Amino acid sequence: MKCNVYSLIGENCITLNDGQRVFDLIHPELAAGRSVELDFAGSNVFASPFFNAAVGQLLEDISADNLNRLLTILNLGPVGVNVLRRVVENAREYYSNQKVRAAVDTVFGELATER
Amino acid sequence: MLTIQVPTVNDQPADFDWLFQTAHALAGDRLEVTFDFSECWFLRQNAVAFLGGLARQIQYRQGTVRFAWETMKDGVRKNLGKNDFTVAFGHSHYPWTDNAIPYRENRHVDKNGIMEYLKLAWLGRGWVQVSPQLRDAIVGNVWETYENAFEHSGSPVGVFSCGQHYPNMGILKLATADFGVGIPGSVRGYLLGQGSPEDRVLAVTAARTLEWAFKRGTTTKMGQGRGLGLDLLKRFVMVNHGRLEIFSHEGYALIDDAQETYTNRIAFFQGTMVNITLKCDERQYCLASELPNEPLF
Repeated sequence: MKCNVYSLIGENCITLNDGQRVFDLIHPELAAGRSVELDFAGSNVFASPFFNAAVGQLLEDISADNLNRLLTILNLGPVGVNVLRRVVENAREYYSNQKVRAAVDTVFGELATER
Repeated sequence: MLTIQVPTVNDQPADFDWLFQTAHALAGDRLEVTFDFSECWFLRQNAVAFLGGLARQIQYRQGTVRFAWETMKDGVRKNLGKNDFTVAFGHSHYPWTDNAIPYRENRHVDKNGIMEYLKLAWLGRGWVQVSPQLRDAIVGNVWETYENAFEHSGSPVGVFSCGQHYPNMGILKLATADFGVGIPGSVRGYLLGQGSPEDRVLAVTAARTLEWAFKRGTTTKMGQGRGLGLDLLKRFVMVNHGRLEIFSHEGYALIDDAQETYTNRIAFFQGTMVNITLKCDERQYCLASELPNEPLF
């Protein structure tokens, strides 16, 4: 599967919601073991919320080895790559530390319910 | 009826104190407020963004606000006309813009509108010699402050921005203000709820909560491994000889290429105010240029 990010999101890949749209598209493919090409041609502004949602959360249930094998990033300039690498590094820590993640999610789940 | 005498407001810490003390004094409901400018000679970008937000906050609390345009010195009125503050509050437009960057109100996330503002009205007026790549890197990093405000603050009146170009100093400034719960407000709730004993100690002062918020990987939101935005912005400012100031509650973060300090001040502001200074010369910037070949994950 090839996902053209510009067609889907546009020039500015910066919000969590837009990242979630990309995630919703590519996650089923990757989870099923199928290859995905994420093409950023035409998109040129990047911020961490977008990559957190689009790519970072893939690490929740897909192994790093499988993602390295199945997901190809195309036409992402050095500035975007820099943000993406930091997001992935951060997500790897987050998803590898089950204890912290469980505590954070439980507390915020409870807070959300109380409100 | 309350009348507030607005002084000259620059962007030194004492100027922020005046803004925050004024907001504190005007925190009630159904207030009738007049801002008198007869003692004011200049308002910097932080003052314009903040006064606009404060006016909307008063209106949100069913109060009324009057800016006494007739009390303004010519230079102040022209400045507020050039950056369209006057238009936002029902007064006349001024036909020239000079070094002014428009005052902007965003009640909700409008990513393309804010990007256009940052690219065209803030950076793109010819006074900053930047390549498209650097422009995109700057606006992507600055977006992190908007994202932080929209996602975490819960500001009922939105986010307020204003910028200014200072050609003699070769710098460009942007101020944003929100009137939400503040960074210490959201961080404290998180640290006191589930943090370690060390975390709970950090939650005691606003300065320490700001320090926590600027660390890589810390976030008060669950899921998706978030918590990078302020760290990325901080690093961008440090590497590129800029200056970043954040005021929230009594906490004050100051970051430039020589220091990263977190202190507590006397004046308290419930929301968050950000003041960013960037150089106008591309030679001052260092961008990532190498694409390492190692696997992404």
